[in-house]
Amino acid sequence: MATNPVPDHVPPEMVRDFSLFTSPGMPPTPDGDPHAAVACVHDGPPIFYSRYNTQDGRGTWVITRAADQRRVLRDAETFSSHRSIFSSILGENWPTIPLELDPPAHGVFRSLLNPLLSPKRVLALEPAVRERAVELIERIAASGTSCDVMKDFAFPFAVSTFLRFLGLPDDRLDTFVGWGKDLLHGDDKERPVAARTIVAFIDELAAMRRQEAVDDFMTFIVQAQVEGRRLTDTQVRGIGVLVFVAGLDTVAAAIGFDLAYLARNLKDQQLLRSEPDRIPLATEELLRAYPPIQLIRVATKDIDFEGAPIRKGDYVSCATMIANRDPAEFACPNTIDLEREDNRHAAFGYGPHRCLGSHLARREIVIGLEEWLARIPAFRIKQGTAPITSGGHVFGIENLILDWS
Amino acid sequence: MRIIVQKAKCQGHARCAAQAPDIFKLDDDGYILLGDIEVAEGEELPASRAVRSCPERALELTRCAL
Repeated sequence: MATNPVPDHVPPEMVRDFSLFTSPGMPPTPDGDPHAAVACVHDGPPIFYSRYNTQDGRGTWVITRAADQRRVLRDAETFSSHRSIFSSILGENWPTIPLELDPPAHGVFRSLLNPLLSPKRVLALEPAVRERAVELIERIAASGTSCDVMKDFAFPFAVSTFLRFLGLPDDRLDTFVGWGKDLLHGDDKERPVAARTIVAFIDELAAMRRQEAVDDFMTFIVQAQVEGRRLTDTQVRGIGVLVFVAGLDTVAAAIGFDLAYLARNLKDQQLLRSEPDRIPLATEELLRAYPPIQLIRVATKDIDFEGAPIRKGDYVSCATMIANRDPAEFACPNTIDLEREDNRHAAFGYGPHRCLGSHLARREIVIGLEEWLARIPAFRIKQGTAPITSGGHVFGIENLILDWS
Repeated sequence: MRIIVQKAKCQGHARCAAQAPDIFKLDDDGYILLGDIEVAEGEELPASRAVRSCPERALELTRCAL
């Protein structure tokens, strides 16, 4: 798979044998640390070409420096995010919204959605988020001295928070998580099936809310007007699919990696347990160390970028986990320092496409860690078990068996 | 002390308001309000911390009166 031909315009000396999918530590690995594994790119040139670096096996330029990633991600005119990553799985071509729209259309939809996930709105959602965390953790604490954090806490917590935001009931949570797994981590057969299932689900939900309005996200979308017009079916679908998929995986993965770190670093764990006021700052450091997302842009024109001859149509990868280990930006980037100040990490991206859900995600992680540490005594990774981690388009952690006996 | 706000660079990370909510005010979308900010005496520390927290480098400190 790693043998894609190098395009003619890419100088051979700029090609590196690196891939977020196939490099060491990227395929599912017991006790892996995929974020640390990618930090090795900083020993090499600031920009290079990888022959296999997307879920569908395409080559990309890889931007390693945080400052260069900022430049790419802010310049949506040169580096477009319109690449139909979801719909192309189905052999179709429509954008998820607002992620795969470029300015100025992007701004119109962003303005529509921003207030729904603003810091102020997230503050109002917090009591329900905390209640859900407490409920799940108390059930775990009451039922023994060990659990699989991913199955018993991280996924149910993150996904049910999100389902409530969307106005969907919890009872299909496992089904939705399964769709997300197939879509983001599945093979060439599973992905289209999952994509088709999600589209059908969103279309059906939109139809139901058109027929009968309730007080939820999808009703807001089907009733919304942009420039004096109702949204088209494709636009409603583009928004629904993006928001649905975005909530399935990322926050759960972040909580999993964070608790795995704390399970292996008992001093830090004890510090946060005894001084929970430190958790918000520590969360920023954990977001820096363990962000799950690779962002990809498509060049809209030829440009020479820091010595790289990027040509129209080339893919450009801005992996947040690579920017966050940039020694030019962070002192001792591979040291996790929960008291780190001045932490302008890239976990939520830069530029106009800054993660729309960032404020909710951030608070979910803080609340999840606060309530976990308040209720679960000193925990370690259960002897004889190993969390399985993976790289890819979205970094993940499959299982995390903790023990506090 | 004064903070120059480059509103066009703001992407709504809202880190400034998280650091110093009394100094940095956001609109309903969660983006910073237009206009430079005069920092009151005694608030320099949280203000400069907030400036250093902006991922987009949209804030700039200046010590001279304009």
